[in-house]
Amino acid sequence: MSVLCPEIPAPGFSFDNCRRNVMLENKGLVLPKATKTGTTIVGIIYKDGVILGADTRATEDTTVADKNCEKIHYIAPNMYCCGAGTAADTEMTTQMISSQLELHRLYTGRVVRVATANQLLKQYLFRYQGYVGAALVLGGVDTTGSHLYCIFPHGSSDQLHYTTMGSGSLAAMAVFESRWKPDMEEAEGVQLVRDAIAAGIFNDLGSGSNVDICIIRKGGNVDYKRTYDEANKKGQKQNSYKYQKGTTAVLTTKVVDVEEVTVRRIETEEMDTA
Amino acid sequence: MEGPNDWMDAPHSTGTSIMAAEFDNGVIIGADSRSTTGAYIANRVADKLTRITDRIYCCRSGSAADTQAIADIVSYHLEFHGMELGGDPLVEIGANVFKELCYNYRDSLMAGILVAGWDKKKGGQIYSIPIGGMCVRQPVSIGGSGSSYVYGYVDANFKPNMTQEECVKFVTNTLALAMSRDGSSGGVVRLGIITEKGIERRVVLGNELPKFYEN
Amino acid sequence: MSILAYNGGAMVAMKGENCVSIAADRRFGIQAQTVATNFEKIFEMGPQLYVGLPGLATDTQTVMEKLRFRKNLYELKENRSISPKVFSAMVSHMLYEKRFGPFFVEPVIAGLDPKTYEPFICNMDLIGCINQPKDFVVGGTASAQLYGMCEALWEPNLGPDDLFEITSQALINAFDRDAMSGWGATVYIIEKDKVTIRNLKTRMD
Repeated sequence: MSVLCPEIPAPGFSFDNCRRNVMLENKGLVLPKATKTGTTIVGIIYKDGVILGADTRATEDTTVADKNCEKIHYIAPNMYCCGAGTAADTEMTTQMISSQLELHRLYTGRVVRVATANQLLKQYLFRYQGYVGAALVLGGVDTTGSHLYCIFPHGSSDQLHYTTMGSGSLAAMAVFESRWKPDMEEAEGVQLVRDAIAAGIFNDLGSGSNVDICIIRKGGNVDYKRTYDEANKKGQKQNSYKYQKGTTAVLTTKVVDVEEVTVRRIETEEMDTA
Repeated sequence: MEGPNDWMDAPHSTGTSIMAAEFDNGVIIGADSRSTTGAYIANRVADKLTRITDRIYCCRSGSAADTQAIADIVSYHLEFHGMELGGDPLVEIGANVFKELCYNYRDSLMAGILVAGWDKKKGGQIYSIPIGGMCVRQPVSIGGSGSSYVYGYVDANFKPNMTQEECVKFVTNTLALAMSRDGSSGGVVRLGIITEKGIERRVVLGNELPKFYEN
Repeated sequence: MSILAYNGGAMVAMKGENCVSIAADRRFGIQAQTVATNFEKIFEMGPQLYVGLPGLATDTQTVMEKLRFRKNLYELKENRSISPKVFSAMVSHMLYEKRFGPFFVEPVIAGLDPKTYEPFICNMDLIGCINQPKDFVVGGTASAQLYGMCEALWEPNLGPDDLFEITSQALINAFDRDAMSGWGATVYIIEKDKVTIRNLKTRMD
């Protein structure tokens, strides 16, 4: 390997830092925690398709890292997936499977099936033996009907009519167990999903902020309602806390002008062939 | 959010009662429907009777992820094998593919599987593959955490060459007894009757389960 | 002690009206011992794009070099300057590649889109989970204090002057309550036609 011609790095995860990090850990330094989505995510099957729901809080230990994060991820035009667990894992896993499915759709020229997405996701998660911490609720419609899967970080999955996941799953499941019934109307279903998420938001510390809802109707019509319900409105500021100009003591100031990018057209010259 | 939320991290396992029994025409397989993560019931209507081929099924116990992955892989192998054979694979072969995976990966898997099915050569058969990857044929077999409560019942009540309905009754009773004593088993009883004609699936709901001495 | 707190450091970025700010302290310490007070953790990645890398100082510099390399390669290949959105995706994927042996940095990115001049801020955790709010992002050892300061001070449509004062005061008052960071600060105000870099006078204890 030369400095001028670096080797093309191998694809996939890199473990270059592992030994160093173990050394640091052995010196008594604590390894930091990644952002988790201590979450409430849910999904139901209703008469004309699938409804997915999620709260919008991301936590880093006990700090709220993001008050309005997006937990319903795009998988395919007819499929979406809610993610709970390690935030980066849910984001990257769904992105990766989404791109694989898009290639599969292009290759086969067919609408990809939810069962295919389920199989790809569970096989990917199984390969990493639970170390990729993604707990997913996958929902969608295809030629065979509406489907809802619940996928665990270790790579097992269940096909269900209604399901919940994340730290708020108990609160949300309590709502479903008392009110879900087969072949619900859309409005009724959306209300049920909202109430389930709200139960998570208000009863689970790891969940909070707003309710996101995604309706996937048979035929592939999708209605993604980002912030369907702002369950927790921030109070109006009564005063402006602006500082007077010059409050902050400045030692040095440097101003860098940003040049406007100009395009200079160069006329081609005839080559001298004499 | 660590601590009491063990269901977030605990692996999803099927703390289970599963069973299979031969009868005069084939085999009956049965299982409860509870799957747990820690103390939380992740799925109360789980289906632990998994299709491998049309006439070979397995009952899964242990880690849900491990057993689902194994079942998918065996199903894939037997599909190929069936094509090359030009007919249905033998149950014995299916069981051996299971055993091969369970034995080779015995240090990283948590899987106790009953393979049951029907083939032309030996009729209804049951193979038990417990943790560690042993494989043994038995006329009747039980597995999962709930099984320890009902060994005596099975030994006392199993008879070779029962009729179909006699055997269905026997399997339902055994599972109902196991589910009532084992905390990690419960829900409904799922049954599968595998004969030459294929499989017939049945469900005995929680309120329809047979009752015994209760106090 | 957390590895992220080994060298100390505080960072904040805010959105304003047609402008963004990014600011950090200047301390470089080894646990409780302050080693230098001129340590820069914010790096230029384009005329109007800056990245701050609070965390373990060795990784601050390693990641900065890796990012600069990848960014240069992108700009040579594409023959156009990188947008903040694309850059943050690049950072995110670079960090996630090391999911099981991460770099101990929690990047903060601030900039204006090179075409539309749309303000952009985001931060991410050490394995590249992007957080893209509409108001402000924070990072480093004083993040809890910074969250409190910013939550109270930030308001929509701040002009560059107000944005400077609010960013600076949020940072200064936050790291005055954090032993691991402080000892001077640098504030960048990024506007359509210029970038103003100011060094602040702060407590030196």
